[in-house]
Amino acid sequence: MTNIFKNIFFIDFIKGLSLTLKYNVSKTITLRYPDEEKWVTYQRFRGLHTLNRDTQGRELCVACELCAKVCPTKCITVIPMEDDTGKGITDRIAKVYQIDLVRCLFCGFCEDACPTTAIRMGREYELACFSLDCAVADKKRLLEPSEIPQEFEGGYVVKARFEKNKEGLKVKPDLTKKKRWW
Amino acid sequence: MDISTLIEVALIIVKVVIISLILFGLPIPLTWLERKVAGHIQLRLGPFRVGPHGILQPIADAIKLMFKEDIVPEKADKRLFKLAPLLAMVPAFAVYATIPFGDKITIPIINKDITLYIADMNIGILYVLAIGGMSVYGIILGGWASNSKYAVMGGLRSAAQMISYEIALTFSCIGVVMISNSLSLLDIVKGQGFYWNIIYQPLGFVLFFIAAMAEINRIPFDLPEDEGTLAAGYHVEYSAMRFSFFMLTEYVAMVTVSVLAVILFFGGWNAPPFLAILPLPPIFWFVGKVAFFIYFFMWIRFTLPRYRYDQLMTIGWKILLPLSLLNILITGLFLL
Repeated sequence: MTNIFKNIFFIDFIKGLSLTLKYNVSKTITLRYPDEEKWVTYQRFRGLHTLNRDTQGRELCVACELCAKVCPTKCITVIPMEDDTGKGITDRIAKVYQIDLVRCLFCGFCEDACPTTAIRMGREYELACFSLDCAVADKKRLLEPSEIPQEFEGGYVVKARFEKNKEGLKVKPDLTKKKRWW
Repeated sequence: MDISTLIEVALIIVKVVIISLILFGLPIPLTWLERKVAGHIQLRLGPFRVGPHGILQPIADAIKLMFKEDIVPEKADKRLFKLAPLLAMVPAFAVYATIPFGDKITIPIINKDITLYIADMNIGILYVLAIGGMSVYGIILGGWASNSKYAVMGGLRSAAQMISYEIALTFSCIGVVMISNSLSLLDIVKGQGFYWNIIYQPLGFVLFFIAAMAEINRIPFDLPEDEGTLAAGYHVEYSAMRFSFFMLTEYVAMVTVSVLAVILFFGGWNAPPFLAILPLPPIFWFVGKVAFFIYFFMWIRFTLPRYRYDQLMTIGWKILLPLSLLNILITGLFLL
């Protein structure tokens, strides 16, 4: 009896149609990357490495080469040198510190091995560029402070601006306008 | 031939040109709308990158279709292969010769009445159904001439589907014809003032709508171009502009069916009761109703799955046909 009623008045069809209508007028879940929005990852994300400084601005890296030893792809090159001008926290700092990003598999062993928390995996993930030069990150690039501050809690979609220039494509996030993705 | 006859002829030619241009242009907003509706129903955005909200996407698609290679399969029946898209397209356009978009408007300066239809045939609805049914020749011949198994299967399915649903479609219109005592579409619209035919013919409308959906090969009845089993059905071998002719036909057919539903059951250009006091031109109500039906077709497309072939035949012959006969019987009894 209910079946006949259902068939005559298209109850199932109406249920389905009302569901799709609800979806039709509801908000989309599409992330408009790279034009307008960008995903800011969580703090635990393993992106481009950063070399950190302590609060007085001294390099934390003591060039112990543990990261280079533990690296499974051997992509980290560290050459130590002596320096007593106070650039580092001890009188041994890295003369050369470079990471071959093409070989790096972003496993995070280097940050685990680091005794001084000098090397950390950052949240930068737009690593593509037009020339091979950027495939090797040198010490200068790694020492640059990350665009997203360490304290910033991740897991947000933020408004962003798409920038295209000679060096490559970048999406500049605007951290003040953030929202949860879902 | 005097001057007034010449003016009449010129007027008709102008109207034909305008309607053809509108119909050729219609798929541009409709493809965009269809993809947008699809996107939003699936919680996506749809086309977004070409122009604001992707509004120029269909133009980009049109340019792409024009510059693509026009491939004719080596073993195809070349003459039929080239003819088929046109055979499908011409009836879809020819239907509009008798469709009234409004009664008449007066051009203010020269004080001349212009009717908003090309011809008022006294067998209007018969003409529309007969010519509209001829579109299937293009589909069958296209499928046959492609010399491809998928295409010929699509063509055959289309033939069987058309035959099954044409009957139910025609019979469901008969109730309306009985009520308005005329086959002319103009008279049918004029006959429904305050009470539209949908009030007298709810069953007729449902049958008409289902049969029409099958006639224009829309989901849930798009067996002829079933992607899952037939790749693209009858137009699997077509490319570039010839393919776009088939697409054009499909969209024009969708508009035709929406227009027919509005004329037969929803009072044509008459304003809805209780809204008649609004100072809007009748063509506004007409276009609005048609737009609603077009949206409804798209809405259904992204809601329902496709029927199986035996289910399609069952619905056509065992449900729609007896019910449409019953509808005629009930209408006749009421008219007595």
